[in-house]
Amino acid sequence: MVYPIASRNGNSVDVDPAQANRRVQAWHLALMLVLAVFVARAFYVQVIRHDYYRSVALEDQLKQYEVPAARGIISAYDGKQTVPIVLNQKLYTVYADPSFIKDPDKAADSIAKAIGGKASDYRKLMDDKQRRYVVLAKKVDKTAKDKLLAYKYPGIGAQEHPYRTYPQGSLAGQILGFVNDEGQGTYGIEQSLHDRLAGKPGELKAITDAQGVPLAANGSNIESDPVAGQDVTLTLDIGIQKQVEQLLEKGIKADNAESGSAVVMDLNNGAIKAMANYPNYDPGKYYEVEDAGVFNNSAVTHPIEIGSIMKTLTTAAALDQGVIKPDTSYYDPSFYVVDKFRITNIEEDGGAGNRNIAQLLNLSLNTGAVWELMQMGGGQINQKARSAWYDYMANRYMFGKETGIEQTGENPGLVPDPADNGAAIDLTYANTAFGQAMLATPLQTAGAMAAVLNGGTYYKPQLIAATSDKAGKMVPRAPQIIKQGVVSKAVSDAMVPLMQYVVDNHDIKPAFDQSRYVVGGKTGTAQIAKPDGGYYENEFNGTYLGFVGGDKPQYVIAVFVNKPKVGRSQYAGTAAAQPIFADIGHMLIKNSYVIPKSK
Amino acid sequence: MAMGRQQRQLGGMNRNQNAVSFRNNNGGNGGKTMLGPISNTIILMVLACLLGLLYLTQVTKTNAYGYVINDLQQQQSQLKADHEDLAVASARLQSLDRVQNSEVAKNMTAVAPSGSVKP
Repeated sequence: MVYPIASRNGNSVDVDPAQANRRVQAWHLALMLVLAVFVARAFYVQVIRHDYYRSVALEDQLKQYEVPAARGIISAYDGKQTVPIVLNQKLYTVYADPSFIKDPDKAADSIAKAIGGKASDYRKLMDDKQRRYVVLAKKVDKTAKDKLLAYKYPGIGAQEHPYRTYPQGSLAGQILGFVNDEGQGTYGIEQSLHDRLAGKPGELKAITDAQGVPLAANGSNIESDPVAGQDVTLTLDIGIQKQVEQLLEKGIKADNAESGSAVVMDLNNGAIKAMANYPNYDPGKYYEVEDAGVFNNSAVTHPIEIGSIMKTLTTAAALDQGVIKPDTSYYDPSFYVVDKFRITNIEEDGGAGNRNIAQLLNLSLNTGAVWELMQMGGGQINQKARSAWYDYMANRYMFGKETGIEQTGENPGLVPDPADNGAAIDLTYANTAFGQAMLATPLQTAGAMAAVLNGGTYYKPQLIAATSDKAGKMVPRAPQIIKQGVVSKAVSDAMVPLMQYVVDNHDIKPAFDQSRYVVGGKTGTAQIAKPDGGYYENEFNGTYLGFVGGDKPQYVIAVFVNKPKVGRSQYAGTAAAQPIFADIGHMLIKNSYVIPKSK
Repeated sequence: MAMGRQQRQLGGMNRNQNAVSFRNNNGGNGGKTMLGPISNTIILMVLACLLGLLYLTQVTKTNAYGYVINDLQQQQSQLKADHEDLAVASARLQSLDRVQNSEVAKNMTAVAPSGSVKP
């Protein structure tokens, strides 16, 4: 059928509907073909080459960031409250690209004004135009950084870095350790508790815009929050720690000693209230230290032959075995020959005669300590004596074993095997009775003495008083008992007056007021072994092991002074270590850290 | 009347009337207007474009929240940094060395406990 339609000139034109349909269909087909080309191309790009184009797109758009976790804060006690001693702070590294700086003199002056330092130094650093990155200063605080960037010098910028900050300066530096530039805890608490303190970094994986801002509409963005590191409260009291550090330094300098350590331990729970070494360092300036040995906490890493302070522990062992009593008297011949070697006493105190246990300790009789060892063997040094004494040294006083304190590089020291090795083992053991031929650290001796004085419980020496839980609440750490029955309660009670007797009969100025406080101790002057055998003639270490308290002993104090230069007629223990002990004891009393006697 | 007009158109066009009209009354649609396949396709494309536009507006709007979030996170980060700085400043001001060297401390006199302190 043909339909007439109007033409342009008004004349009607006959249009065949079938022909019109074919035209429309042709256009439709053409359109469909074009669309099909688009669809096919889209299919190729989006389906067949999906992986390729996806990876190409993601290279530009997908950004992956590690969100750093805040490192745990370290606090310590200041009396009953706690104060932070290690904190986190964001500081800035200021850098320059010298090729952008047109007027280096002016820029250097501005830098010096903003962040301090010498303009000439900055000028020199910016001289080399070939270098594109020069670090001008590190650890610049925000105020100084903002001041510098306000100048808007092209080529000068600042990059943020997290740092550990030590508001108390060098206080407890060797206990704390430091965090190096790679964020790794190094030495001390920072290393031993690194995993706990560091926390777990978060992750942000997101499609971003050109400026790196994550686009929120991307459903496949991954964001996991960082888990902050645990906060830690140390058992240290900063007041005690500070003063012990000062008193130790004063004592060591007075005696021209090489080095030294002091430990103050709460003997009723093993908590370390102070642990100091000299020389020490400021962990905030660890990079200025020239001798890496200073990083070590010598109170746990440097065992020595402890000398006559061991006689208190030998006496406690003999008393505990029941082979002597506190009021026992014995005849001291002034020397013993053991394995063909002659063991003697110091000249002025060592004559033959009847002695009691208090005199044995006060006069520091080597022969008395050997005699006590002999009593453990039924009157002679033999396998029985060696085994019994070894049991006390190794299994009760925990010598020769790491205490497990939260410090790195702990040295277990040495206790000789009691089995007969055919190499003068009796002589070796005779020497251990007065603190030679064995090795122990100040911390180990403090731990052992604490067990002897507190009724016989060996508490694990600990520096951690509390750690934070997931909610940030501080959870106290209970004292950890390693061994009970180290010595009996009766022996513990007996040791107090014996050690008081020593303090009362030594020249300590000012004297301790034993009517209000209980103070006891024992000196030690230890020979120093040569690397190739034998001992140095004129070099000694001075040691002191004592306690202060009121109704009962409260703190054990161990002082080690290495190679003090004391007079020829003096002994290192009495001349060098004892004054430091006395100073620390008086300090504890004067500052009311010690609870006086109730009656 | 629609029928009358249609009859006129079919019967013959007025002069100078350059309109082309095509009506197919054979489909049995009772006189209803039908869209051709091109119109359908174009309408579909327009609808697809509208949908795309709607999607883009929504995505853009959502992405804009990313900038808000980013700003807030930067603020939070800055506040944390300020808090850290203040905590450090506070700790430094209370440090033992500073207290020991303060004018107040220098004017103090050391004394020993004069009486028994009972717990």
